[in-house]
Amino acid sequence: MKYKWYEPYLFIAPGTIILLLVFFYPVVRLFRDSLMAPRGNEMVLVGLSNFRYLFSDDVFRMAIANNAKLLLSVPIMVVLALFLAILLFEQIRGWQFYRTTLFLPYLLSITVVGVIFGYMFQYRGVVNTLLQGIGLGTLAKDWLGKSEYALWVVMIVIIWKEVGFGVVLFLARLMSVQEELFEAARLDGANWLQLQWYITIPQLKSVIEFFTVISVFTMLSWVFNYIYVMTNGGPGNATMVTELYIYLMGFRYRMMHIASATSVLLVGITIVFILLQNRILGEEGAYA
Amino acid sequence: MKSIRKSLAVWAVIALLAVLASLPACAPQPTQAPPPTEAPATAAPAPTPTPAPAKEEQITLTIWWWGEQEAPGAQAWLEETIAEYQKLHPNIKIQHVLQTTDGLIPAFKAAAEAKQGPDIQYFWGGVWTLEDAWAGSLVPLSDYWPESEIKHLISNEERMYDGKLWGMAWYLSGNSIAYNKALLAKVGVDTEKPFTTWDEFLTVCQKLKDAGITPLAGGVKDGWFGGWLWQLLEHQALDSADELKAASIGEYKFTDPKFADWWKRLQELRDKGYWNPDITSLDYQQGQDLWVQGQAAMIFGNDTFYKGWMDLVGEENFGVAKIPVWGKGKLAGGYVVTAQGLGITSWSPHKQEAADFLLFMHTPDRLNAWYKHTGVFPADDRFDPNQITSPIMRQIFQWIVEKPNPNLENFAPSMLDEQANFVGVQRLLAGEIDAEQAAQLSEEVIQKWRSQNPDAVEHFKKWLGK
Repeated sequence: MKYKWYEPYLFIAPGTIILLLVFFYPVVRLFRDSLMAPRGNEMVLVGLSNFRYLFSDDVFRMAIANNAKLLLSVPIMVVLALFLAILLFEQIRGWQFYRTTLFLPYLLSITVVGVIFGYMFQYRGVVNTLLQGIGLGTLAKDWLGKSEYALWVVMIVIIWKEVGFGVVLFLARLMSVQEELFEAARLDGANWLQLQWYITIPQLKSVIEFFTVISVFTMLSWVFNYIYVMTNGGPGNATMVTELYIYLMGFRYRMMHIASATSVLLVGITIVFILLQNRILGEEGAYA
Repeated sequence: MKSIRKSLAVWAVIALLAVLASLPACAPQPTQAPPPTEAPATAAPAPTPTPAPAKEEQITLTIWWWGEQEAPGAQAWLEETIAEYQKLHPNIKIQHVLQTTDGLIPAFKAAAEAKQGPDIQYFWGGVWTLEDAWAGSLVPLSDYWPESEIKHLISNEERMYDGKLWGMAWYLSGNSIAYNKALLAKVGVDTEKPFTTWDEFLTVCQKLKDAGITPLAGGVKDGWFGGWLWQLLEHQALDSADELKAASIGEYKFTDPKFADWWKRLQELRDKGYWNPDITSLDYQQGQDLWVQGQAAMIFGNDTFYKGWMDLVGEENFGVAKIPVWGKGKLAGGYVVTAQGLGITSWSPHKQEAADFLLFMHTPDRLNAWYKHTGVFPADDRFDPNQITSPIMRQIFQWIVEKPNPNLENFAPSMLDEQANFVGVQRLLAGEIDAEQAAQLSEEVIQKWRSQNPDAVEHFKKWLGK
């Protein structure tokens, strides 16, 4: 049976058009709006002046810096999740209970988590009460009310919530690793650390890469809910992140052109990370 | 060669779609949306009242509102009012959606972008209303209401622009200091007239502090209280709200003493340790709870809450005082009050019906019912003050009548409020900056606002009468 050359394209045309409308149109529109600004009732082309404004705005610079700081939590999450997954894989006593407990935070709504931790970390909250109760009152701080601590507290909460996903991912992969690999290594005299280094980690490589990439994107463009609920960007913009900045510019200060330019930069940064990831995975032949 | 041609054909189609997609004409348009109203700077929307509907035509009006949060009982009143109105107008169905404090503005901004959403929207006064009027999201109420009705509304000046009234004043919201009489009595302070001047206020605070009582309660984590503190402490340095508009357009600097000294007063309260120590980790509501629970003696309060507070702490234990005077402006010693209100959206297909419902809200029966439900004064001079039974509320009404002062948050760009006042107050109370740095922050924020909002600057000039 012979087909005309264009027939396959006709079959994929409906899906392509929907994709173009849903994904392509907003992106094109976003790029266009990032180069324009309102004058009277019209939008006029202003070139790169929105971007120039962004780089001169200390609040935006702080937002970018905070996103970068949040990226520090990615290696912590990966190592922690890996360690916990290995412990569970070794079927320590009560491991099934721990597995459920560790995954539970991931299932909770971010809003609920944010509100609860917001209360816990108040100056007169549970954390400080506990510290005072065990004689460490000098460590009690205004965790969310002081710029120096607020972002790190939010980071701890994000790690607490997201690490369970990594644990389950790693554990699922570990369950499918052939037991013979571990047995052979043990027969060769490998100790616990060598087992993890030479068997577990190489076997988990693709999953670790996947979790790392997901976590990087989370820290770049998926932390709005945590910030909005726990600190609303404060105190004094100390926990401002790019997503919240976009929201404020677009929906609070009626500066949609600045919000668009910020979004374009965020898209650009994300694309850089995707390219980096593809390059690394491409070179190493991961997922192969 | 053939495959290259095919690929080119496919990419040509994609490129064509992309070009089409980027054309504004291809943007999704709301169905049945009227042409957007032009901003008043260029041409005020023409008064085009919707023709009266045919009797059988069913109309649905949607109201997005806020207010139950500060005037508990408002929802019950609104539902009762809607029911009564629907009885009189069986062809009109009214839906109401209570918005959250944080969601009120963003939800409406999103609706305005799409030109779809409520027929009637809640607005705080002044710039909170006019920014949306300037954006073409509102139609003037004065195009739909007769002057004989408009003249009864209180605080219309907040919503006047270009000779038109852009919203309806609904109820009054004023600010004073609420205090716990028992705690003040404990330290020997006259509970009927505890202070008038700033120095007297500081003396009371010190006595309370010496007795181990937290003088002032507050919470600035969510920012809003920062705006309140600004308008309450700053207004008395000014002669009128026009000075603030003038500063917004660059005729004064926010580092000038007239605009910066209030930060020094706030720093004074911080340095002397008069606030609850966790003020930066609490939301306003939580700070307020501290006062209600008797854990602090005084609070910069909003009179819309007072009825509820009196129920909680007992009227005999509840006192109010005007904001202590430190400034030398003409506004010093007045009572800061604003009218919260409602406006009609430019995309509503039923503007006249919306205006009629708003009119119904101001019938004498509804005004009196409002006070009965909420204990909050309606913004209408037809309200019968004889209904006020509480001596404290009568005192407040008297202050409003004697010397009503504008709420400054309504006369400056919202960006200044949020990025300078909210942020500056948080940082100052956290001990991270001092008064001078906070004033500098205000100046930087207003410069940023001016650089990115030339149209809004022009609107402010026009609003100022320039």
